[in-house]
Amino acid sequence: MSLELIKDILLATVPLLVIFPSLFAFTTWMERKALARIQNRIGPNKIGIPCTRIGLFGLGQPAADGIKMIFKEDIVPRGADKLFHLLAPILALIPAMLILCFLPLEFPWGKFMSGQVQAFLLDSAVIFFFAISGLATLAIFMAGWASRNKYSLLGGMRAVAQMVSYEIPLVLSAVVVVMMAGSLNAKEIADVQTGFNWFVLTPWGLAAFIVFFVAALAETNRSPFDLPEAESEIIAGYFTEYSGFKFALFFLGEYIAMFAISGLAVTLFLGAGDGPFLAVAPWLSVVWFIAKIFGLIAVMIWLRGTLPRLRVDQLMAFAWKFLLPLSIFNILLAGMSHHVTVAYPGTTAQVVTWTVSLVGMYVMAKGLDKISRSTAKPREYLYAE
Amino acid sequence: MSILGGGIFKGMAVTLRNFVGSYFSKERFITTNEYSWRPESELPQSIGDYPKEEGEQLSDTTTVNHYSRNFPMLLHDTGEPMDTIRCVACQICERECPPQCIYIEKSTEKKENADGKPQFYPAKFDIDVSVCMSCQICVEVCPFDAIVMNSQFELSTPDRFGGLLVRRDDLLKSNDYYHKIHPQEAATRDERMAADKAAKEAKKKAAAEKAKAAAEAKAAAAEAANESKEDTE
Ligand code: SF4
Ligand code: SF4
Repeated sequence: MSLELIKDILLATVPLLVIFPSLFAFTTWMERKALARIQNRIGPNKIGIPCTRIGLFGLGQPAADGIKMIFKEDIVPRGADKLFHLLAPILALIPAMLILCFLPLEFPWGKFMSGQVQAFLLDSAVIFFFAISGLATLAIFMAGWASRNKYSLLGGMRAVAQMVSYEIPLVLSAVVVVMMAGSLNAKEIADVQTGFNWFVLTPWGLAAFIVFFVAALAETNRSPFDLPEAESEIIAGYFTEYSGFKFALFFLGEYIAMFAISGLAVTLFLGAGDGPFLAVAPWLSVVWFIAKIFGLIAVMIWLRGTLPRLRVDQLMAFAWKFLLPLSIFNILLAGMSHHVTVAYPGTTAQVVTWTVSLVGMYVMAKGLDKISRSTAKPREYLYAE
Repeated sequence: MSILGGGIFKGMAVTLRNFVGSYFSKERFITTNEYSWRPESELPQSIGDYPKEEGEQLSDTTTVNHYSRNFPMLLHDTGEPMDTIRCVACQICERECPPQCIYIEKSTEKKENADGKPQFYPAKFDIDVSVCMSCQICVEVCPFDAIVMNSQFELSTPDRFGGLLVRRDDLLKSNDYYHKIHPQEAATRDERMAADKAAKEAKKKAAAEKAKAAAEAKAAAAEAANESKEDTE
């Protein structure tokens, strides 16, 4: 292996390993703060600079949490499968980390590298992305199974059912972008969207983005789809039996997966690193990229503070009866509107197809919503306010 | 016809308002100010200041605010608690409680309740604080309005076993107390109970009148029959 290659690999991967875990620490703080404010609390505010009373808005909280996690006793249940119990949190983290490598982040130190600026520049990046993120399901089920605990197993089963179901709308909504960009390469998809040609600004792109975002919430087990780890029902789901550093790994894996899938959403729909002032300062592209990821994460946190958890039957009905037909319909619409605009160039055709697609999408969604709802009547309460 | 997903946006507007509002108005923090009824000088200032008096954690404290629901209590009307207890030990709540934390023993003989009607009463009525999940289902299912939610939150105790099992006599609280902690809910409940009672009485009266009328008609018919019999003789 040549020195050049080693330098390239280090320059491409080390920043990912540094930036995202530190962003993770910041995100946990942000999430706790935001949730607290949503619930009219203050949130972490005590831990700042050690040995002083300076609180720094509790920014020291993630560090304190980390220290606590590392020094905590690592408990493995007696009946557990020790090997898989150990491997599961590692396996949960690996795919999340790997996915990050596919994001078309253009670091400013790219010019010191021999050509390749991304860790992986694959022509089939999008496919690889989904293939690898599917591994996380395995890790979660492994954790649930190896713990030998009924709650863990229940959580693992829920996770598998949920992640397998939501992977389909997730992929199908990404298909639209692949169709339009004519490439599976993340970099090329990003390039197509430069100059505010973001896919989210088209009717089919908007619909696909919404479907993608919802499915991404379910894929990363975020509220309102956090059934696999529903505290009030099954303790902590698949990581009930995890403590200490292994638990921290799961936690980290979950957040990195959030970054990764938001990163993919940004790449596919929100123009990747595209933004204003790029001509003056090209390095801003990384900043825009990460800012967009953070925007999506903020919405996820906001949704978590707002929505209650779904029931299992609602979850499945939503994936199979609502998101799946909707994303297939969206592919048809996208294809048709593309061919119409190719056949009749001009603004009139564009306006007509866009209006037709928007209205068609909305009517379809409305109809599916009506069909897919559970027919059970909500329970009536006398005094609950 | 509502907009698709409109409920989600509405909810998000509410949480956004809370988020922004929490930076501007101190009053919003009332939900976390658990000792709001106490004067500033009596607040615990450092670790070890609390509890101030022995047994304080089970005292009848006024509470956070009237939306707070924490743990069930049994209601009695004005008078001696055990003479006016509303619970008739029907054990519906015991069966419906999801984590099964209610334990009831029915009395063997009946005793007059507040209305002067002989009824069974719970000889034992224990709820385990450590198991109760504050779901309020027992309140929803009780047909006698005998169990409602208290808002006491100081339920910690140094006794891990006995202390966490709240007994009948500790659960019994007067309707006046209920009015004090949950004024709105108590008022609606009283109203509904009065309406139910009135409806029941009206029905009873109507039934009685109907029965009376039927009896009279029957008697009249019998008389008529008798007379006709006599006539034929
Ligand atoms: S509290 Fe209500 S439901 Fe429970 S036993 Fe008493 S009367 Fe029955
Ligand atoms: S509030 Fe719920 S858990 Fe608690 S005693 Fe009532 S039914 Fe049981």
